[in-house]
Amino acid sequence: MALADAWKQLSWFYYQYVLVTALYMLEPWERTIFNSLLITVAAMAVYTGYVFMPQHIMAILHYFEVVQ
Amino acid sequence: MTQNSTSKIINGDALHRTKQDKKVCGNGFVKNHCLFQQKRNRRPSEKNHHASCTSLYKKPFVESFEETPLLVAVLTYMGYGILTIFGYLRDFLRDWKFEKCHLAREREEQKDFVPLYQDFENFYTRNLYMRIRDNWNRPICSVPGAKMDLVERVTPDYNWTFEHTGNVLKDVINMGSYNYLGFAENTGTCADAASECTVKYGVGVSSTRQEIGNLDKHEELEILVAKFLGVESSMAFGMGFATNSMNIPALTGKGCLILSDELNHASLVLGARLSGSTIRVFKHNNMESLEKLLRDAIVHGQPRTHRPWKKILILVEGIYSMEGSIVRLPEVIALKKKYKAYLYLDEAHSIGALGPRGRGVVDYFGQDPSDVDIMMGTFTKSFGAAGGYIGGKKELIDYLRLHSHSAVYATSMSPPIIQQIITSMKCIMGEDGTTLGQERLRQLSENTTYFRRKLHEMGFIIYGNNDSPVVPLMLYMPAKIGAFGREMLKRNIGTVVVGFPATPIIESRARFCVSAAHTREMLDKALNAISEVGDLLQLKYSRKNRHGSEGADSFSFLESHQD
Repeated sequence: MALADAWKQLSWFYYQYVLVTALYMLEPWERTIFNSLLITVAAMAVYTGYVFMPQHIMAILHYFEVVQ
Repeated sequence: MTQNSTSKIINGDALHRTKQDKKVCGNGFVKNHCLFQQKRNRRPSEKNHHASCTSLYKKPFVESFEETPLLVAVLTYMGYGILTIFGYLRDFLRDWKFEKCHLAREREEQKDFVPLYQDFENFYTRNLYMRIRDNWNRPICSVPGAKMDLVERVTPDYNWTFEHTGNVLKDVINMGSYNYLGFAENTGTCADAASECTVKYGVGVSSTRQEIGNLDKHEELEILVAKFLGVESSMAFGMGFATNSMNIPALTGKGCLILSDELNHASLVLGARLSGSTIRVFKHNNMESLEKLLRDAIVHGQPRTHRPWKKILILVEGIYSMEGSIVRLPEVIALKKKYKAYLYLDEAHSIGALGPRGRGVVDYFGQDPSDVDIMMGTFTKSFGAAGGYIGGKKELIDYLRLHSHSAVYATSMSPPIIQQIITSMKCIMGEDGTTLGQERLRQLSENTTYFRRKLHEMGFIIYGNNDSPVVPLMLYMPAKIGAFGREMLKRNIGTVVVGFPATPIIESRARFCVSAAHTREMLDKALNAISEVGDLLQLKYSRKNRHGSEGADSFSFLESHQD
């Protein structure tokens, strides 16, 4: 039951996303291209964050002399 | 040659009119001799127009054009940007033959000539309009009254071609027809009278007015229209668009100045351009802008020679159909009298729909019809027929009978249409002995007030004057244009959505036309559907107080007088 509600909520969000970015007017293969590009860019950002965030945080803390 | 005779006729008339500056309001007159002062510290956040000279208006003039929320504007531009990128991609695929091209193209031999289809209009049509084209040109297979039947269409290839399934969608509530008083019907006195007239006169006239196409029905119609408007004489034409575009060239020419509103209809713009006069545009419904233009024109005269203008003609409309705003007629008339210009009022949407007796914008503001030099209107909207008319002084109309292109070259109006107009006009005037006309007028203004108040309470952004039966509801985002049209059709309501060339690119809207034929149940059904679709598409952008504290006074005043 909770799964059905979550699915409905997700599909409502997807509908809003498709309306706001005007993907609603595009054909399915165009939507696939746009969504894959978007997910690729987002995945790359998350990966970069995962790899480099600890180093960046240590550098900031070192600058503010919180940690030696 | 023609301009001199016109100017002699109209100027001769003008000399008889006494100077009427006494009606000018006091505070504006003292400082600059300007009637309408520029307000220095106007709040830029929203434009809520109240009358600047309240002595000229008998009742409150409330218009609102709420500003676009910033986030919505940014997202709209982003949506158009994405569509443009994909448009370029599709054009590339079509050009390199990866995809079959369904459009008009130049032939192979003409590829080296100047390209025909590369401008923005064609790009927009190919890549944006075609994708949601199923919202327009829907075939209707019944009379477009309060309810209509639509032919169901499916498209196998994304709107390039349509096929009819053979089904008919029955009883779709019609919120898009300009059927303000509900005369678009196939039963009742109007339809019976029109069919009798067809039996007597036939349908085709086969000639122009000047040759042998002048029926006695035309004379009867023109006398009736003149009586309805309160002018000396009038003339009727077969097509409303042609009335404007063919008669303005007969009235003005080179050496005349036309001051036209920013948002005037294409027919007025076309007529003004065809006439060859100088055209200057003033901001929409903005009396300071108009006054500044008038003063500049009179002080500086014609561009190089500085001679005085032969004639200054102000072109305004009664109700602007894309904005739902009503012209500030008392102020325009005061300006016209002060600066001795002529006024051309196009009452296409307002005749029959505004005013306590249905006589249009002039009646609504309680002005004298002889103040407006040329009153033009159409029979298409409130009278359920087709065609246009021009009313004014007898000399003016006699001149137009001889010199208008439409009178000389266009076929005259068809007899059943004339009979429909005569019957409906007599009904509105009350001359057929019933109170049906008064009922319809009252029903229309009740429906308008109810519909606008409910939409405002729901939280949509609605443009225009509180009394105008044209209700534009803002959509903004391009995908929502298509989504709104389709979702409303699923709920059995036919609406008209408007996008780019007719409106500015980010201000796309859905335009509802309230009719006297709509009952309260139909309006409630429509309002529920609009609210549902508004929640589904997140269209409730308005940031004003939901329960209308600003508008509460004028709304409750009107409601208590009507319920």
